[in-house]
Amino acid sequence: MNKYRHAFLIGLQSNLVYRWNFAVRGFFSLFHLAVVFILWGAAYSGTRSIGGFSFGQTLTYFLVMLVMQFFVGAFNEDYQISEEIRNGLINQFLLKPINYFLYRFSIFVAARLVTGVLILLPLLVAVPLLRDYLTLPTDLWRIPLGVVAMAFAALIQFSIAYCFGLLTFWFLEIQGFVILSMAVESILGGQMFPLDLLPGWAYRLAQLLPFYYQTYFPAAIFTGRIHDLGAVWQGLGIQLGWVVILLGLNQFLWTRGLRRHTAVGG
Amino acid sequence: MTRYLQIWLASARYSIVRTLMFRFDFFLWATVELFWMSVNLLMISVIYDHTNSIAGWSKYEMLLLVGTSLLVQRFLMGFFWSSIFELGRNIRSGYFDFFLAQPGNILFMASTRKLDLDGILNSFVAMGVVAYSAHRLGLHPSAADLALYAVMIACGLVIHYSMLVLSISVAFWITSAQGIEGIYFTLSEFSRLPREAFRGLASLVFVWLLPVVVVSNAPAQTLLHGFQPVWALALLAAALLWLGAAVFVFHRGLRRYSSASS
Repeated sequence: MNKYRHAFLIGLQSNLVYRWNFAVRGFFSLFHLAVVFILWGAAYSGTRSIGGFSFGQTLTYFLVMLVMQFFVGAFNEDYQISEEIRNGLINQFLLKPINYFLYRFSIFVAARLVTGVLILLPLLVAVPLLRDYLTLPTDLWRIPLGVVAMAFAALIQFSIAYCFGLLTFWFLEIQGFVILSMAVESILGGQMFPLDLLPGWAYRLAQLLPFYYQTYFPAAIFTGRIHDLGAVWQGLGIQLGWVVILLGLNQFLWTRGLRRHTAVGG
Repeated sequence: MTRYLQIWLASARYSIVRTLMFRFDFFLWATVELFWMSVNLLMISVIYDHTNSIAGWSKYEMLLLVGTSLLVQRFLMGFFWSSIFELGRNIRSGYFDFFLAQPGNILFMASTRKLDLDGILNSFVAMGVVAYSAHRLGLHPSAADLALYAVMIACGLVIHYSMLVLSISVAFWITSAQGIEGIYFTLSEFSRLPREAFRGLASLVFVWLLPVVVVSNAPAQTLLHGFQPVWALALLAAALLWLGAAVFVFHRGLRRYSSASS
């Protein structure tokens, strides 16, 4: 366990060093939020409620989603893993008693801790400006269950990124796959619009897929888009199921991939 | 002029041969672009399931706007994206020397080297979206309107090209600025919104200071409501201004370029 603690601490340091990357991403997110604000503001100009929610509630949803992504989102983990496989850096892990998944996951947790805390700073500026628009439900149970859902969501996002990274064993370039999956995730994860606005059948279908649980589900718990406790427990069950399936898939791809892997040089 | 056309045709031929060699890549990237276009269209259609208007625009008017915005972006992707993206990487790595040694305008040589057939292919999908929306709206644009629309799309392409060159040129000053081309993508998100949705500060920044809203709204307005001199002039002026700025900044940056290694 000690060795992963060290990986975690190194992850913390290296993420604090690359503050510039964070600043750039935070800046883009701000613009994205402006697009959301303008688009949905215009959509609400002719109506008071969309899907049973006010403009304030919808804006809160997007803000929670954005902040949450800084805590749980996997952003370039897939590329980093891909890079390590391609240039042979993983060879050193094959020779040592270190589990590559746990090593990578420790760094991921450290990275998200840094970006998560850092995003709270601009948030301190944004919240007073947007105060009139923000409305969150007051049920206390939403906080612990939402946090658990966030932890599972982080595992799902990391596992998906890890799978894409491992594709490097089979393909030279994974960028196409990653950007393709980003399109699917942005729709089915609820980043483009709250998923409950989908037609009933499409919403129920989305609930069966892992993307629903990687972003939309925790955000929906926090913002009251899922009303009753029963639905939350059921969701957590399915979410846990996806965590297990994806962890299994990671293991499968790792062992199969290593069979194809050739380590050259010293 | 004909010499540059010959150079461009030679690059195009090379790109086609390359695409034929890497067919899987071509299909993959064509699918990637198609998916991202669908994401935008799906979002619009889901919002219109719950409301009738966005800033006074009906569903098919909005789809026509989004289709127009996607069309300009597809052309940029097809004709210039790969070359300009590599330009940024080459400035950082020092490989840019290769272009400096070529007998021709450096910006032209460096930004037209590669064509992406997947982007060009998907521009037909975007045209399809525009044509379908126009059909659903019962529009019958005259040949003159269509010609004007095409000219405006070309102006929009010039503006997008300039914005991309400007953001990549940052690499001359800040060599560590990776992912800086993200600026372009973030700004292009605004071009899918109707002009009327922008108020106050947002209107000042995105309609007047940055041309992102005019690029898509001007051609869309032409198809929807016919020729409007104000929109056309605004677009033309923005295209000239931004191209001028891009050429100026690029050449200023070029003076700072100090190669790397031997």
